[in-house]
Amino acid sequence: METPGFIDQPVVPGDVVMDLSKMSNQTIKIGGGLRQDSDLISVVKAGKLRFSKPNKYWVETSQKRYVPCVEDAILGIVVDTRADNFLIDIKGPAIGFLPVLAFEGGSRRNIPKFEPGTLIYVRVVKANPGTNPELSCTDASGRAAEFGPLKEGFMFECTTGLSRMLLSSPTCPVLEEFGKKLSFEIAVGLNGRVWVNAASPSTIIVVSNAIMKSESLSGTQQRIMAQKLLERIQ
Amino acid sequence: MAWGGSDPGCPLLRRLPDQTSGRRTTPAAGAPQFEGLMEIDRADGRTPNQLRPLSCSRGVLHRAHGSASWSQGNTQILAAAYGPKAGTKKNENPERASFEVIWKPKSGQIGKQEEEYEMILKRTIQSICVLTVNPNTTTSVIVQVVHDDGALLPCAINAACAALVDAGIPLKHLAVSICCSLVEPGIVMLDPTKLEEEKMKAFTYLVFPNSSHSVLNKGSAQSENNDETEQGLITSVTHGIMSVDDYLQCLERGRAATTKLSDFLRRNLQPQLPSNT
Repeated sequence: METPGFIDQPVVPGDVVMDLSKMSNQTIKIGGGLRQDSDLISVVKAGKLRFSKPNKYWVETSQKRYVPCVEDAILGIVVDTRADNFLIDIKGPAIGFLPVLAFEGGSRRNIPKFEPGTLIYVRVVKANPGTNPELSCTDASGRAAEFGPLKEGFMFECTTGLSRMLLSSPTCPVLEEFGKKLSFEIAVGLNGRVWVNAASPSTIIVVSNAIMKSESLSGTQQRIMAQKLLERIQ
Repeated sequence: MAWGGSDPGCPLLRRLPDQTSGRRTTPAAGAPQFEGLMEIDRADGRTPNQLRPLSCSRGVLHRAHGSASWSQGNTQILAAAYGPKAGTKKNENPERASFEVIWKPKSGQIGKQEEEYEMILKRTIQSICVLTVNPNTTTSVIVQVVHDDGALLPCAINAACAALVDAGIPLKHLAVSICCSLVEPGIVMLDPTKLEEEKMKAFTYLVFPNSSHSVLNKGSAQSENNDETEQGLITSVTHGIMSVDDYLQCLERGRAATTKLSDFLRRNLQPQLPSNT
């Protein structure tokens, strides 16, 4: 297979990374950033080509806008209410629909009231190109599992790449360093929104600024920056 | 200068001293016209095939979803891309993504020239983007001229393409654009400055798809593959009068120069993530 040369390499729209006619009967899963053009797989977004065994290929990109994907946990902002849906802005090409009953123990009698502007932590249930994505405030088994409106705290926007880095395991260095000395809670949406809450505003400010700056830093640089900031406030 | 009166107007051309007659040699069909008898003096000392220094920075605007600042010599353009956002305008096909382009000149009111640039940019963008991925959405591209020193539209197309990549809009391939100008029939100069442009007999803006890395080209029929993948021409805008042979020569020179532009764009578009994982 000719593709090994491209894996983990930066690719640019227009590059053809695979020729299906030369491959024997195999099933390949194509993720974001790649497109199938009859027998060729070509790149549509600039980024790094990634491969995960046994057969998944995708282009890792970092953008300010979000492409909805099923089972992603994201932070949405209520824009409007309809009879059976809340309209939620998720930074994607179409507005998301949150059914009024998609809450734990939700029924027609206890429909929550959300003001426009409320920040909600939701899960993507359905996401197809051209349709409005469907969201839910419960996990797959119907329990609340931390989904729902987020009160107080501070929300800021970032790129999707930074969100993925914050959610990676092992824990992202900047969060680990702050977690050792400060007490705060964060909710990271894969659509490029992060919510931070803590007892005092200065903690919130320090953590938010550090996260925003850590996108272009390596692991050790993040730790050094976190330690310097902690020294200043304590 | 006391040469014979055949070339009064073009100060860029000068004859080498051993030219005896003051008359122009009659051009042979298809062959380069002056066979090394003429040398071209450009004000900044470039050769006819040399481009001005390029520079591109992405992500320069904080609120735009994608932005790029592209400069070729002194011409500088700032492009911003917003979207895709839900909804299309009335006359647009809702099964495809639609684009709107706004061109902001450096000064003065918006007139026919700006509308023409907007239309050319919009058609070029529509042909490089994958329109079926986000139906019923609108992406706005706003182009701001920071300084105009010749080759304005090619610079804008390059900047808009970089801004679209920065915003993550799916593209079939990149567009690289170049300006080829005709000094005299038979002599083609690339990337003229504004002063040089004003003295040209004709010039043309050309947009080509970028040269891509492909697993296909590793086959044995390499020359055939190269011809096929690199033969496309996306946009061509011409001003002035030129013969067909001259136009074909412009196409050839332009295409050769776009490999350099492609490489520059490719290096520039590499993701700026720290090498952690």
